[in-house]
Amino acid sequence: MAGVITVNLPVFLIILPLVAAFILPTIGRRQRLQENLLLVVGSLGILGAGYLAYLVMDGGISSVYQMGGWPAPWGIELQVDGLAAFFLLVITFVLFPVFLFSRGNLAEEVGGREKTARFYVLILLLGGALAGMALTNDLFNVYVLVEVATISCVGLVSSRNHPLSAEAAFRYLILATFGSALILGGIGFIYIITGHLNMGFAAQELAQVWQYRPHVVWMALIFLLTGFGIKAALFPLHLWLPDAHSIAPTPASALLSGLAVKGYLICLFKFFYRVAGPFLLQELAIDKIMKWAGLLGIVLASLMAIRQDELKRRLAFSTVAQIGYLFLGASLLNTRGLAGTFFYLASHAVIKAALFLSAGTMLAATGKEKVSQLAGIGRKMPVTTAVFTIASLGLVGVPLFSGFVGKWYLLLGALDGGDFLSALVIIGGSVLCAAYLFPVVRLAYFEPAEIEEAEDPGIPQKIALVFLAVLVVLLGVMPGTVLDLAGRAALDLLTP
Amino acid sequence: MTSLILALMSALVGVLLIVLIPGENKKLRNSIVFLSVLLALVFSWRTGLLVFAGKSIGLKVELGRFVWSLRPDPLGVVFGLIASTLWLFTGVYSFGYMDNKEKQGSYYVFFLLALCVTLGVAFAGNLVTLYLFYEFLSFATYPLVIHERSPEAMKSGKKYILYSLSGAGLLLVAIVLTHHLAGNLAFGAGPILEGLSGPGLNWLLLLFVLGFGVKAAVMPLHHWLPSAMVAPTPVSALLHAVAVVYSGAYGIVRVVYSVFGRELAGELVFSKIFLYVIVFTILAGIIVAIRQDHLKRRLAYQTISHLSYILLGAFTLTPWGLAGAVFHMISYSTLKITLFFCAGIISELTGKSSISKMKGIGRGLPGTMVLFATGTLGMIGILPLNTFWGKYYLMKGSVAGGMWPLALVLIISGILNGVCFIPFIIKAFSGEKNQPAGKTGKRGYREYALFIPPLVLTIAAISMGLLPGMVWPAVQAVVDWFF
Repeated sequence: MAGVITVNLPVFLIILPLVAAFILPTIGRRQRLQENLLLVVGSLGILGAGYLAYLVMDGGISSVYQMGGWPAPWGIELQVDGLAAFFLLVITFVLFPVFLFSRGNLAEEVGGREKTARFYVLILLLGGALAGMALTNDLFNVYVLVEVATISCVGLVSSRNHPLSAEAAFRYLILATFGSALILGGIGFIYIITGHLNMGFAAQELAQVWQYRPHVVWMALIFLLTGFGIKAALFPLHLWLPDAHSIAPTPASALLSGLAVKGYLICLFKFFYRVAGPFLLQELAIDKIMKWAGLLGIVLASLMAIRQDELKRRLAFSTVAQIGYLFLGASLLNTRGLAGTFFYLASHAVIKAALFLSAGTMLAATGKEKVSQLAGIGRKMPVTTAVFTIASLGLVGVPLFSGFVGKWYLLLGALDGGDFLSALVIIGGSVLCAAYLFPVVRLAYFEPAEIEEAEDPGIPQKIALVFLAVLVVLLGVMPGTVLDLAGRAALDLLTP
Repeated sequence: MTSLILALMSALVGVLLIVLIPGENKKLRNSIVFLSVLLALVFSWRTGLLVFAGKSIGLKVELGRFVWSLRPDPLGVVFGLIASTLWLFTGVYSFGYMDNKEKQGSYYVFFLLALCVTLGVAFAGNLVTLYLFYEFLSFATYPLVIHERSPEAMKSGKKYILYSLSGAGLLLVAIVLTHHLAGNLAFGAGPILEGLSGPGLNWLLLLFVLGFGVKAAVMPLHHWLPSAMVAPTPVSALLHAVAVVYSGAYGIVRVVYSVFGRELAGELVFSKIFLYVIVFTILAGIIVAIRQDHLKRRLAYQTISHLSYILLGAFTLTPWGLAGAVFHMISYSTLKITLFFCAGIISELTGKSSISKMKGIGRGLPGTMVLFATGTLGMIGILPLNTFWGKYYLMKGSVAGGMWPLALVLIISGILNGVCFIPFIIKAFSGEKNQPAGKTGKRGYREYALFIPPLVLTIAAISMGLLPGMVWPAVQAVVDWFF
């Protein structure tokens, strides 16, 4: 029994949320039961992903899982490596607090208790799609998972009971569909010239044939970069993101900004590193495009974030800037830079979830959406504000908080490649980040109170917020294990 | 090792006690503050004496891939002892100054936090730990700068934190680059970058100097310092004349001697160029100071000028120069803090902060103005005040390093310091008696708390000036450590 579970653990992690998504509507009337089911799914996910990470680091699991026992190229493969284990851990550790947070306080935001089941189904589908993205080793599966994730995301944005939500969701849908089309085109090009959908085989073939069709390969990679760039909000393709992420219900904002954009990023990394390989990226100057888009994103999106007065919009623009860090880190093409990128990805996932959840709590409790109206909230909602502060310190990259470790390795990666400009932009981005987050903290603690009535949220919400804040500090103080896993993920990607 | 940890912890325990004890009990709170600063002082002196006795004490924690370590050496100990000693005086002064102010709880919390963090900067055993405390120092002192909560205070606070964070960012790049080049960040017997050379290191030095130079208020990175004078006077006195700005100056000395080492620093072109920047700061700082009418701002520009004395000593790269820098660090701090304390007394008792309105103030507040005049003489650097010796060794170091024009610069700066404050003192003691508005002639707890710290510090400065041998062992230990 134990052996069967161990062997099938990867696919179990994909199926678990999907099965739960089908069961959930059948108990649509019983809210408490739904919420308990979600918590069970979340806890099982954490246990499973943790055990999988242990197995991967320990070498106790075969790195290829064949669906249905069919070997490639006939069957579909899952790649169970450091990258998959790492991203699965990130997904589960963000999903769990979000499930906990939505317990008992979702009805107001989605417009009624009968609509919560729909929301939960979308979250579970998104979770399943993200888990699939972490594990998949098949080009076409990527496309399917991307579509599932996109539709769930659009659904989540539209589920808020707000006059603008339909417009934001529609705009997101149009752009995301355009992105999907580009991704499909990119996959098509690769399939045409290699004849394979399995990433390993496609990579072998591509290494041979790319010199005969360099333009096709270039086009395919650019299609993929643009397609995934739209979905992952790579600057300047981020236009949909501020609206969508700021209008979505609070738990959905946390998931979209914290996790969903990163799923697309992981897929893109798989295409670029596993299929095309670092050599080809350099040869076709794709890494330059990624680097400059990242640099511009960090600077310009941060500057835009400073100018936003609506708190959730400010956080949404901040996501665009932070995605810039991930693209910049990935373009460095060395192990330390890529390990830093993955660590930063995990750190940002946790931090952004904490920021959106705490900001959403403040907005819900006070009814104020603007930063300037939040003066003195630190005394009324001590727990929420403390979590927001810890997450801010983490995102700015103060030592002993998670962002510092990520930035440290990104800097090391940049300097390993002799890239001073990137190093300076990484640091400049931190200062800009301080410029858009610290004013909120300052207003909350050091200005006379304007808000009369506001209270910390209920116990499940508090636990969820504190859970995320503890993660931010733990990742900063004791990054060892996660760094090892991130290093392993980087090594797995860079060495075929 | 125990005393090292206790030195940092006692301030933190004080913070916890203040936060946890409910209600507004001023006496209890002030005693907690006094006791925890006193304990920090005792334990840092114990640590210091052990280090001077040649014992190696330290604490190292390895978490993840990062090593956090505290390992004081003589230079760090000198800085730590200056900080903790002056913290006690400032604490007493604050009891008087803050007595009738609002939000005292938050003031003392961050006052104690800043002490803990400053000791961390002083005792840090590697660059990452130094960076950790250096960054936290900005956060711990920011609430003190904006204590008044006025729009002007908020604006200055913003400037302060923006300058500090940008500096810290450049510092981080420099530290990561050092890690990349040397693979090691611990301060040890030899410099970190030993054995490396090449013109590229110039840029590393530039990054370090920019990073620490923000807090050391090297021109043109000094703008935050005069604006930060909106803070309550004890904060200006302690943080913006001593602790915060010294952490920058200390960082630069540390970088020159522990990271680069004097041979390597001597080879780099940029260390010669920085000497010009330092000379410019020394002269321009004091010239700008002459034109200020606001007393605290004038003192602030004078601080900018004097901080560069320390850097000048460090960059001469000679034993005498370093001795001068360390001596100046010790002696200047005692007198500058006195000057600020006096400025605080004047503004508290008379409500005046502009020099042009202070005519005859010396006849209303004779004791304070005598102390102020003594401090001024110290800034010029003449016997019997301790700053004379610092300046003397600085000049000796300049000449020993074959840079005699620097000695000339120090003399000119001394004259300018005289031009800056002597006319004010003459005016203060002449003309109509400028009586404090609400003065009753009766002195209470508040007046004593305000007046005793500067008095004791002035006496200490004079005795140090007459018997420089009191301080010399410490200076000797630092010089021996690096040469």
